[in-house]
Amino acid sequence: MRVVAPTWTTVSTKRRFERLWRAASAVGIRTKILGIVLALVALMGVSATIQVRGMLSDALGTQLKERGISVTRDLAARSTDLILVNDRYALYQLLRDTLINNPDVRYAFIVDPQGQVIAHTFNGGFPADLLTANSAAATDHHHTLSLATDEGPMWDTAVPIFDGRAGTARVGISDVSVHSTVGAATSQLLLTTIIVAAIGISAATLLTWVLTRPILDLVRAAHSVGRADFSQRTPHWANDEIGELAEAFNAMTAALAKADAERAEREQLRAQYVSGVIAAQEDERKRIARELHDSTSQSLTSLLIGLRALTDHCEQPDIRQRAEDLRLVASHTLDDVHTLALQLRPSVLDDLGLPAALARHVADCRRRHELQIDLAITGLSDRRLPPEIETALYRIVQESLGNVVRHAHAQTASVLIECSEHKVRAIIEDDGIGFDSAVISATDGHLGLYSIRERAELLGGSLMIETEPSHGASLFVEIPLPSQEVDDA
Amino acid sequence: MRVAAVILLMLVLVGCTNAPTGPTISLSALRPLPEQQEPAVVPLRVSVAAVISPRSTVESYQPLLAYLSDRLGRPVELVQRRTYAETNALIEQGQVDLAFVCTSAYIVGHSLFGMELLVAPQVHDSAVYHSLLIVPAQSTARRMADLRGKVFAFTDPMSYSGRVYPTALVRQLGSSPETFFGRTFYTYNHDNAIRAVAEGVADGAAVDSLVYDYAVERDPALAQQVRVIYQSPPAGIPPVVVNPNIRPQLRATLRDLLLGMANDPDGQRALQALGIQRFVEIDDHAYDTVRDLMRAVGPLTP
Repeated sequence: MRVVAPTWTTVSTKRRFERLWRAASAVGIRTKILGIVLALVALMGVSATIQVRGMLSDALGTQLKERGISVTRDLAARSTDLILVNDRYALYQLLRDTLINNPDVRYAFIVDPQGQVIAHTFNGGFPADLLTANSAAATDHHHTLSLATDEGPMWDTAVPIFDGRAGTARVGISDVSVHSTVGAATSQLLLTTIIVAAIGISAATLLTWVLTRPILDLVRAAHSVGRADFSQRTPHWANDEIGELAEAFNAMTAALAKADAERAEREQLRAQYVSGVIAAQEDERKRIARELHDSTSQSLTSLLIGLRALTDHCEQPDIRQRAEDLRLVASHTLDDVHTLALQLRPSVLDDLGLPAALARHVADCRRRHELQIDLAITGLSDRRLPPEIETALYRIVQESLGNVVRHAHAQTASVLIECSEHKVRAIIEDDGIGFDSAVISATDGHLGLYSIRERAELLGGSLMIETEPSHGASLFVEIPLPSQEVDDA
Repeated sequence: MRVAAVILLMLVLVGCTNAPTGPTISLSALRPLPEQQEPAVVPLRVSVAAVISPRSTVESYQPLLAYLSDRLGRPVELVQRRTYAETNALIEQGQVDLAFVCTSAYIVGHSLFGMELLVAPQVHDSAVYHSLLIVPAQSTARRMADLRGKVFAFTDPMSYSGRVYPTALVRQLGSSPETFFGRTFYTYNHDNAIRAVAEGVADGAAVDSLVYDYAVERDPALAQQVRVIYQSPPAGIPPVVVNPNIRPQLRATLRDLLLGMANDPDGQRALQALGIQRFVEIDDHAYDTVRDLMRAVGPLTP
């Protein structure tokens, strides 16, 4: 038991302390400071009041007792001759004077040596039991008792008169005035405590305001920075630790703002560069496609016509056969050049719009790669999107289907284009082997997906990939439409 | 927490001390005091005129009273009054059986209602005493004439040594106390008159020589503070008296008892306490000179 008890106490104290700590840390600084101030003032005030009350009560009680003794001894001395010469009226006067001149004295009376009351200050009788409640032997200096009366505690002092030969003087002194003095002092102290507490609360409120205002400013500024708003600066209230914190915070915000501006600038440069590259690429493709179509195709057609003429007019069968073979090779080359030109830049995209271009590309893919591809386009039957968006969407679908054909080993794929008032969405799905999207997106070298994301983001859009190994893949591309597009329509 | 609670408890306990004990007494429930019961045995009541202070009287006469009580086989009660006149009234009304009075009180009582001499004390082998004129030790006064315009303390209006004799002296100077002295007052006993002079409250007083001797004997320091500048011719000593209507048997018993005290060791001790040698029989003629002087001065302030 002796071993267990302290352990239990320690654990319980620790738990209690933890609970207290939790409760204390849950409230704000304002409440904490106010609580500390209030608790200190209340503790000081109440303990001081109790202490002073006790001491005052003791000191006044002792004084009262001493006064009772001195009043009684004085009465005994002055009453001696009056008793000996039997001057009852003067004796009564003396008792009355004692009562009048000492407001604390409740009663006074003289007892003769035979125990008879010969003079007293009560009107119309004498309290029962009071006579026998106290007495003094002839040799006593005095004998003081605290009597319980219906008017509260009373210091009753008995002093022998003329060594008891003339009787005994008795005086009762009430501690009512002591109580009222102690009560007045107590209420005065409590009032002081309340006033000090009020002043303390005001001071603490001011203090907490001074302390918490910069902190709250910092909190607000930190929230702003969290929202990427670097314009907020916290005012420098004081040169203390919090002031230093505010300064450090402002320096950090300024650095962040600068870094953010630099980053934005770099981003803009990069976007300009990328869009330049893409535009150049498109232009280059367009030029090559036109070249292929206009010059190479014309040359090949001339070659074909020449070879046909050669076949028709040559008499020698072996040469005719060779010319016919060459004409077939040229014809295939012309087809390849056409296809190549089409892939580089389908003129139909410029001429007939995105739906026709996609339909053609999908049909081409189906034909060339034996892949089941569904194409669905909604919301574009009677409108044209801005050329850069059409080109981007076309390239995205082209790249996606290229990926499907090259890597997915898929049986079917689907392309869905949805155009609404403010945005256009492309969804390209397949049932292939899928891939690890985390690995893909982290790999900078994978240009296919990277270029899709780049094209989407250049136009303010986004790319989302949903895929799992052996469960196919879905690409969601969303591009916002500029508002004037709606106005033009 | 627990420590704080203990401290608070101690602080509270500091304030709670001296709780009254015993049953509660009601100061408002007043009951009439019991009637003074007549004692079963009637005590012998003895009065002593206020020659000396009431307290000194009790102390000095206690052995004598105890002796009487013992010899008579009945309690003895001492009855004191402030003035000689009050004591005389007690004797006249028969409220006291035996009284020690002043010379002039006897003369007044004798002429008023026939106060009767029983015995008289004897000091230094004679039954006479003097009036002493005293002044503070540092006073330059040598005779009564030097006290003109000063403060003078009389003892009792009826006192021979304390008022009658000094008044006669002033009359001899062709004046009266009212005009001769700057101020006069009564101390009502000789003790207080001596003390008034010793302490400089009065510039002069006339006192009973027996009282003065007795006081100086008890407190030799007094002799350093006061100086006797005049001693009157001898006068009849203050006697022991009875009411004229006292039962003759009691009268005889008391007389025999007092006269026989000197022959009894217990009686001698009681006499010693009073500073007297013995009680002797005395005749009314011993007081004639005083009677004549009083007649000349008048009963009280003329």
